[in-house]
Amino acid sequence: MAADPDEELVRRVGAGDPAAVQALVARKLPRILALAVRMLGDAAEAEDVAQETFVRIWRHASSWRRGNARFDSWIHRVTLNLCYDRLRRRREWVTDEVPDVADPAPLPDAHSGEEAYRVEQALQRIAPRQREAIVLVYYQEMSNIEAAATLQISVDALESLLSRGRRSLQTILARDGADE
Amino acid sequence: MAEGSRNEPAMDAKRFATLAEAYGGDLRRWPETERMTGTVFAASEAGEAILKQAGTLDTLLDSYRVDAPGKALHDSIVQVAGRHLVQRRRQRFWWLGLGLAGIGLAGAVAGLALVTIVTPELQPDQTVLDASVTAFGDVGPDAENGEESL
Repeated sequence: MAADPDEELVRRVGAGDPAAVQALVARKLPRILALAVRMLGDAAEAEDVAQETFVRIWRHASSWRRGNARFDSWIHRVTLNLCYDRLRRRREWVTDEVPDVADPAPLPDAHSGEEAYRVEQALQRIAPRQREAIVLVYYQEMSNIEAAATLQISVDALESLLSRGRRSLQTILARDGADE
Repeated sequence: MAEGSRNEPAMDAKRFATLAEAYGGDLRRWPETERMTGTVFAASEAGEAILKQAGTLDTLLDSYRVDAPGKALHDSIVQVAGRHLVQRRRQRFWWLGLGLAGIGLAGAVAGLALVTIVTPELQPDQTVLDASVTAFGDVGPDAENGEESL
């Protein structure tokens, strides 16, 4: 098994080294936040998830031992679980309180690019498992083996999720493009 | 980036299309073991067409960028870490104190056990002196006999 590039840093964090804490936040926060933003499509919620993820890291750093997964895969799994908790709560909220009117369209200046906004919306409309696979491989630049391990599925199952996810995105984006 | 799951000597159009459909048009995202054979096939006319098609979606996906974390979020996370580290240090001292107290208690128990083992127990045949016994023996019945013989 290849060496884990984060192992030494995590060990120092576990020993209470403040410089290691700063270094770990600088190294992992952008990745964790990007993952949560793309999974949830909500920057404020994603920041909450990032904070919760780091609380778990501080709690487990001193006892963290590399098993089958690398530290980066472990924090991705933690972040995804926290995202799923929020997605589940949203579904419950939607089921409990169906709004009378549809959500108003976002303000024109809410998103810098029209294309980016379309992709963001399209990602939120595909199945969460497909979204996870695309975000991990495409945006987080994980290898197929790392992504499959993080999702706890086989590489073949990952490829299937990726293909179906990309096909769904293509369909949604093509339809949205035709509507405009 | 990607590592491989299969190790095929050559790639056909079907496998190439399957990989492009899953991983997109940038071969750096493909499984490592198939990148080389994929690069060879990519130079063909069919390969170029497949990559071009996958690249259209990639361009759209690339447009969706996420802002870097703000300083406030970074500082807040570091601050929380500081609190956790102080708490953990306190816990560590607490456990250390508890450990030392345990060691002390264990020492006391061991000492007591040692004293119990080393110190001889009171033997059952030993006489307990009471008021009727003198250094010369029991003054009870013998004394009475002596008086009678006088």
